[in-house]
Amino acid sequence: MRITDRLSKNRGQLENKLRNILAKPVFLIEEDIFALPCGCCGITINTRGLQADDLEIFEEHIREYLKAASLDLEVEPSFLFARLVPGTAEIASLNSRLLCSRCYMDFARGSGKKPRPDIYILNFDRRE
Amino acid sequence: MKLYVPHAGHMEGLQDLLACPEDIYAVYMAGAPDYVGTGRTNLSAPGLEEIREQTEYAHEKGVKMEVVLNSSCMGGQHLTPQGFNKINWYFDQLNKSGIDSITVAEPYFVEMLSREYDMEVVVSVLSFVDSPQKAVFYEELGADTIVIDPAVNRDFQKLEAIKESVSCGLKLLVNEGCLYQCPFRYAHFNFFSHANGPGPKLNVLDDYYYYKCLSLRINDPQQLIKSPWIRPEDLKEYEHITDTFKIGGRTHFPNWILNNVRAYAGRHYDGNLMDLLDCPKDIRDLFYIPNKELEGAISQWKRCDKVCIRCGYCKRLTERVVQIYSSEGEQQLLQPLNTERSI
Repeated sequence: MRITDRLSKNRGQLENKLRNILAKPVFLIEEDIFALPCGCCGITINTRGLQADDLEIFEEHIREYLKAASLDLEVEPSFLFARLVPGTAEIASLNSRLLCSRCYMDFARGSGKKPRPDIYILNFDRRE
Repeated sequence: MKLYVPHAGHMEGLQDLLACPEDIYAVYMAGAPDYVGTGRTNLSAPGLEEIREQTEYAHEKGVKMEVVLNSSCMGGQHLTPQGFNKINWYFDQLNKSGIDSITVAEPYFVEMLSREYDMEVVVSVLSFVDSPQKAVFYEELGADTIVIDPAVNRDFQKLEAIKESVSCGLKLLVNEGCLYQCPFRYAHFNFFSHANGPGPKLNVLDDYYYYKCLSLRINDPQQLIKSPWIRPEDLKEYEHITDTFKIGGRTHFPNWILNNVRAYAGRHYDGNLMDLLDCPKDIRDLFYIPNKELEGAISQWKRCDKVCIRCGYCKRLTERVVQIYSSEGEQQLLQPLNTERSI
């Protein structure tokens, strides 16, 4: 299967799972796989209609769905997070990122779920 | 019927739009953002020479050319000597380029243009003219035409009162999909005006208003139905108000714009209403609203007193007609709006 087909299928599956659990037509407007110059790489899923309350109530389920979506694209789900529009209820994207060593340190220093106003951590595997 | 049609602003796009110009009375596009800017997103910033060339081309095709400079917030720049001189110079150059009309939202510009030039002065929807009194104010400032705030598109008493109160031209924007009584309306257009106007460019994290705009519809789809769009089939209900209609959508491909022109000129559309609406472009692939199923709804809206909690008509209509696209493998299926929680 081509990577574009896999992404397309992955997007649809995750969207259906979220809609089923949230009982509203959450829209995954774009799913991308990316690589950054620093060494980070992963997937970004831009969302519309998904809100902070949904995440807080169904965090476990959403984490598992995102983990499965990430594994399906062979991206190790070691760092999963939602990006929020700061100060609002809106979630801009769900993300799975393989952190480079520099970015890993930025997150490893903190201990809470919101190291920045726009980031809500769903999963963070600490390195040895 | 006079149909005003959006144009992204480059010659190639104009040539595509005007390949068969019979149904198009005028095209409109933004000018350069260095002087006034606009209250909506733009794809191009045609220079004066390009505006002149495109105006000539449109005139050859028998179509009028309008330039839209409808910034809703100038940050006071136009009130400074430097700002005034710069804008005055730009208006002068636009006048020389041969354009037929100019749309502005700033009241100062309405007065300035009407005193100095022969170009038709059009008051933008972003002046939010939603009452007879406001229409009279703008007419006295020098407006030749007022584009009425779509917020009153379904308030026929207001529309008729505006018509009765002024003698200038009136224009209705038919396909704006903005939320009815949107709480973000002024703030969003002011933000666009700064983002697409003179002055320092903003380094914006997220367009908060757009996120909320989409999120509100996804969480409450009746907002899609409450938006004050006008179906092509319902134009006849507005003919006693005006014969001039404007299609919104400067950031769309000519193919999308021409689909709208066909629908509104032909007063008929057999498809997804979302195809025609300008604002919620991103959720066109989420909702399916069969336009045919909305036949007759205008009768209810004509007598609507806009107290939704007492009525519930739009809510019931939404539940009956709105469907959702859902992915099943490689296929897109349509599903009813209400889905039960599965856990």
